[in-house]
Amino acid sequence: MSAQKKKAFQIEAFKHRVVVDPKYAEKTWKILEHAIHEIYNHNASGLSFEELYRNAYNMVLHKFGEKLYSGLVTTMTSHLKEISNSIEAAQGGLFLDELNRKWAEHNKALQMIRDILMYMDRTFIPNTHKTPVHELGLNLWRDVVIHFHAIQSRLQAILLENVRRERSGEVIDRGLMRSITKMLMDLGPSVYQDDFEKHFLEVSADFYRLESQEFIESCDCGEYLKKAERRLNEEIERVSHYLDTRSEVKITNVVETEMIESHMHRLVQMENSGLINMIVDEKFEDLGRMYCLFRQVSNGLVLIRDVMTSFIRDTGKQLITDPERLKDPVDFVQHLLDLKDKYDKIITSAFRNDKTFQNALNSSFEYFINLNSRSPEFISLFVDDKLRKGLRGVTEEDVELVLDKVMMLFRYLQEKDVFEKYYKQHLAKRLLSGKSVSDDAERSLIVKLKTECGYQFTSKLEGMFTDMKTSQDTMQGFHASHGSDIGDGPMLSVQVLTTGSWPTQPITTCNLPAEILGICEKFRNYYLGTHTGRRLSWQTNMGTADLKATFGKGQKHELNVSTYQMCVLMLFNDADRLSYKEIEQVTEIPTSDLKRCLQSLACVKGKNVLRKEPMSKDIADTDTFLFNDKYTSKFFKVKIGTVAAQRESEPENQETRQRVEEDRKPQIEAAIVRIMKARRVLDHNNIVAEVTKQLQSRFLPNPVVIKKRIESLIEREFLERDKGDRKLYRYLA
Amino acid sequence: MDQLDNDKKELVERFMYIAGEGEKVAIEYLNLCDWDVEASIDYFYDTPVLVDDALLEELYNRYKDPNIDMISVDGITLLCNDLEVDPQDIIMLVISWHMNASTMCEYSKMEFLQGLQELSVDTVEKFRDKISYIRSELNDENKFHDIYNFAFSWAKEKGQKSMALNTAIGMWRLLFAEKKCHLLDHWCQFLQTRHNKAISRDTWSQLLEFFNKVDTGLENYDAEGAWPYLIDEFVEYLNENGINHSKMVAH
Repeated sequence: MSAQKKKAFQIEAFKHRVVVDPKYAEKTWKILEHAIHEIYNHNASGLSFEELYRNAYNMVLHKFGEKLYSGLVTTMTSHLKEISNSIEAAQGGLFLDELNRKWAEHNKALQMIRDILMYMDRTFIPNTHKTPVHELGLNLWRDVVIHFHAIQSRLQAILLENVRRERSGEVIDRGLMRSITKMLMDLGPSVYQDDFEKHFLEVSADFYRLESQEFIESCDCGEYLKKAERRLNEEIERVSHYLDTRSEVKITNVVETEMIESHMHRLVQMENSGLINMIVDEKFEDLGRMYCLFRQVSNGLVLIRDVMTSFIRDTGKQLITDPERLKDPVDFVQHLLDLKDKYDKIITSAFRNDKTFQNALNSSFEYFINLNSRSPEFISLFVDDKLRKGLRGVTEEDVELVLDKVMMLFRYLQEKDVFEKYYKQHLAKRLLSGKSVSDDAERSLIVKLKTECGYQFTSKLEGMFTDMKTSQDTMQGFHASHGSDIGDGPMLSVQVLTTGSWPTQPITTCNLPAEILGICEKFRNYYLGTHTGRRLSWQTNMGTADLKATFGKGQKHELNVSTYQMCVLMLFNDADRLSYKEIEQVTEIPTSDLKRCLQSLACVKGKNVLRKEPMSKDIADTDTFLFNDKYTSKFFKVKIGTVAAQRESEPENQETRQRVEEDRKPQIEAAIVRIMKARRVLDHNNIVAEVTKQLQSRFLPNPVVIKKRIESLIEREFLERDKGDRKLYRYLA
Repeated sequence: MDQLDNDKKELVERFMYIAGEGEKVAIEYLNLCDWDVEASIDYFYDTPVLVDDALLEELYNRYKDPNIDMISVDGITLLCNDLEVDPQDIIMLVISWHMNASTMCEYSKMEFLQGLQELSVDTVEKFRDKISYIRSELNDENKFHDIYNFAFSWAKEKGQKSMALNTAIGMWRLLFAEKKCHLLDHWCQFLQTRHNKAISRDTWSQLLEFFNKVDTGLENYDAEGAWPYLIDEFVEYLNENGINHSKMVAH
C-alpha cells in the first residue's frame, strides 16, 4: 500500500449521464417528417414553428444531422414525385397552369422547411459540404419534376407552341409564360438555356427562314423591310415580357440573320424597289429603315455603300460624257451640284451622316469629275456665270453658300492648275468689262481659294484686283490734271494691267481712229511721266467703247461696242459703204477677229447697225458693208460687244491644254530638284511618289513626264545615276 | 613565230595574254628566261617597259600636222597605214580610248604621247605588234564598258551635249558588230522611225546596260526599272510589232 499516491483533484461539472434514447432520433424525425407532409398538404397552420425548430435543432445537436438530411431528401423527393404525376395528368392548356401552381406551392413549402431546418442549414450542412436546403429544394424540383421525361418534353413543346401562336397573331397568357421562364432561370441558367432557350432559338430560326422566304417572293423591298422591322420589334417586346433579357441579343441575331442577312443581296438588287430605286425616288424612310436593319448584319452596310457608290459613279460618268449636257457648261455644273445635294440629303436623313458613306460619295465624285478633262473649265464658267449675273440680288449668306459649293467641286478636281488658268481668263474679262455682280463675292472666293491652295495660287489673281484699283487712282489723277483739256472730245478710261498678273494675250495690230488718238497719247505721256522705265501697249482686243450714233430718221442710240467694233464703225463717219478689204486695210485688225467683229455688227438681229451685201450669214472677203440707216431698237442703249466668257472651241481647248502641259514641266523639275537637294540620293520610284505628293494640290503629274524631266536634269548635270545601282539618282551640287 | 615548234608557240601565246604584249616582246622575254613562262612573266613585270621619249617624239613628228601642233586627219590616215589597219576599224576607237582623245579624227600631242606611253610602244613595229592584243581588249567586259561610254564623248560633235542620231547608229553598229545583239537592228529602226532626234548621254550608257541585262525575250524587263523613257518606248514598240515572240513559243 502506497500512501504517496497523491492524485490531483480536479473539479468537473456534474455530468448528467444523458442516456440517449435510441429511439429518440427516430421519434424526432417522425415528427419532422410528419410536419413536411402537412406542409405539402397545405396543413401548415396547425404546426408549431418553435417546436419543430427545436426538434431539428436537437437532432443536429445530438449528431443526427445525417439522418435528418437524408430524411429530408427522401421525403421531399417522394412528394415531388407525386406532384410530377399530378402535373403530368393535367390536360392540354392546364398543364402549364398546374406546373406553375405546383411550383409556387413548392417554393412556399421550401421556405417553411428551410426555416424549420435553419440550424442544420447553418451548421451541419456547411461542415459536411452538403447542398443547402433551399438549393436542394430547387435541384430536386429540377431533377424530379422538370426533368421527368414526360414533363420535360411536354413543357418544351408547349412553351414553343405558345410562342408560335403568338407569332401568328394569337393572344397568349404572357404572365404564365413569364412565371415559367422565371422558374427555369431560378433553377439555373443552364436549365433555362438547355431546356428552353436553345430550342427556342432553333425553332425561331426555322420559323423566320420560312417566313422570310415567303415575304421575299411576295413583297417588294420596302414592304419586306417594314415586315422585318416589325418582327424584330415584336421579338424585343416578347423578350421584355416573358423571357430572360439575355435572350434579346440572341433572338434579334436570329431574326437579322434569317430575314436580312440571307436575303440582303436580293433585297438590294430588287427590280423596281431595291436600293437604287429608293435612291432615285428619294424614299428616305425606306432608306433609313434599310440602313438601320443592315447595320446589324456583317457587311450589310458595306453592301449598301458599294451598290450606292457604283450607281453614283455610273450616273456621274453618264452625266459627264453626255454631249447634250456638255453643250451648256453652267447647266452641267448645276446638275453636278444638284446630284451632290441629293446624295448629301440621303446620307443626312437616311444614313445618319455615316462618315463612311460621306467618304464613298466624295471619292465617287472625285472619280467621275476627273473623267472629263474639261471639268475645270466648266466649273470656272459656272462661277463666271454666277458672278456675272447669277448672284444678283442674292443675300450675303446665300452667296457664301453658292461659293462654298463651288469650292467643294473645286476640291474634287485633280487638275487644279487648269482651273486656275481658266479662272484667270474669265476673271480678267469680268474685271475689265466691269461685269462683276459683287466685288465682295469675288474677293470672298479668292480668299477661299487661298485658304485651300495657299498664297501661290492666288497671288496673281490678287494682282489683277490691285491693278483695277490702281487704275482707278491713275484715272483720277489723269482727269484732275487734264480734265479741262477734254471739253467735247471723247472720254477715256484706262485700265493699266501688269503683264505678269493677267492672262497672256498676243499683241495684235489695230489702228485706232483718229478721233481718239489724241487723248490716248495724252494718257500715255501722263502715265510714263509718273512711271519711268515702263512700257505701255494698248490691248485693243480687250477694250470697249460707247458710241453715240444717229440714224436715218434722226433716232439716236448709244452703242456699247468692243474696241475693234469702234474702229470699224468710226470709218463709216467718212463713208457710207466700205468693202471688207478696205476695212481690213485701214484698221489692220487680224482676220478672224475682224470677221467675228463684223458678224456681230451686221448679222445679228436687233444689233445690225451695219448692213451687209450679200445678206449671207458668214463674212466673206468680197462682202461690202453699209451703214444701216434704217436701224431701230426699242432701247436707247444697245449692247453689241461680245465679251462674255464662252466655252472654248476644240482648237482653243487644245491650245490651252498644251500651255498647261508646258507650264507643268518647270513645276515638276522644281519639285524634283527640291526633293533631291534634300535627300541627296533617292531611287526612281520614290522620286515619282514624292513628286506626285508635292504637286497633288495642283495636278496629278504623269510618271512618264516625270521620267523625261529627270532625264533632262541628268543631261543638264543636276542629277546623275548612281554607278552601282542604275535605279538610284544622285544630286550633283 | 612560224619557226617555233608548237610547244613554244603555246608559251608565246600565254605570255602575250598575261603580259598584254605583242609577239616579238613575248619571244624576247621568253628567250631571256629560257622559255620558262613564269620566270619570264616575273622578269617582265619586274622590269618596267620603258618607252624612249626621243623615239616617241620622233613618232609624233611623223604624224603631226604641218600647220598646227596636233595630229589631224591626214596624220591619222598615215598612222592607220603604218599599222596596217582600216581607219574605220574599231581598233582606232580602242587606241583613242587609250589616248583619252577628246574627239574623233584628231589627237593632241599630249593625248598621243600619253596614249603610247600607256601602251608601252615607241616604234611603229612595237605598235603593230600590239594590235592583236589591243583588239582583244574589246572582249574584256569591264574594258568594253569603259570603251563604250568613252565612245559617246569621242564620237559626238565637239561642243554638243548629245550625239546626232546617224553618228550614234554608226557607232552602235561598229561596237556591237561582234556581240550578236539581236535587238540592235530593231533599236536602230525604232529610232529612225519614231525618234529622229539626238541621243543623250544617259540613253547611250543605259542602252549597254539594257542589252546586257534584259533578255531577247524581254521577260525580265522591269517597267519600274527606271530605264530612260526612250528605252521604255522601244519596248512598247517591240510589243506593238510582236517582236518579242519568244514568249509565244509553244507550250
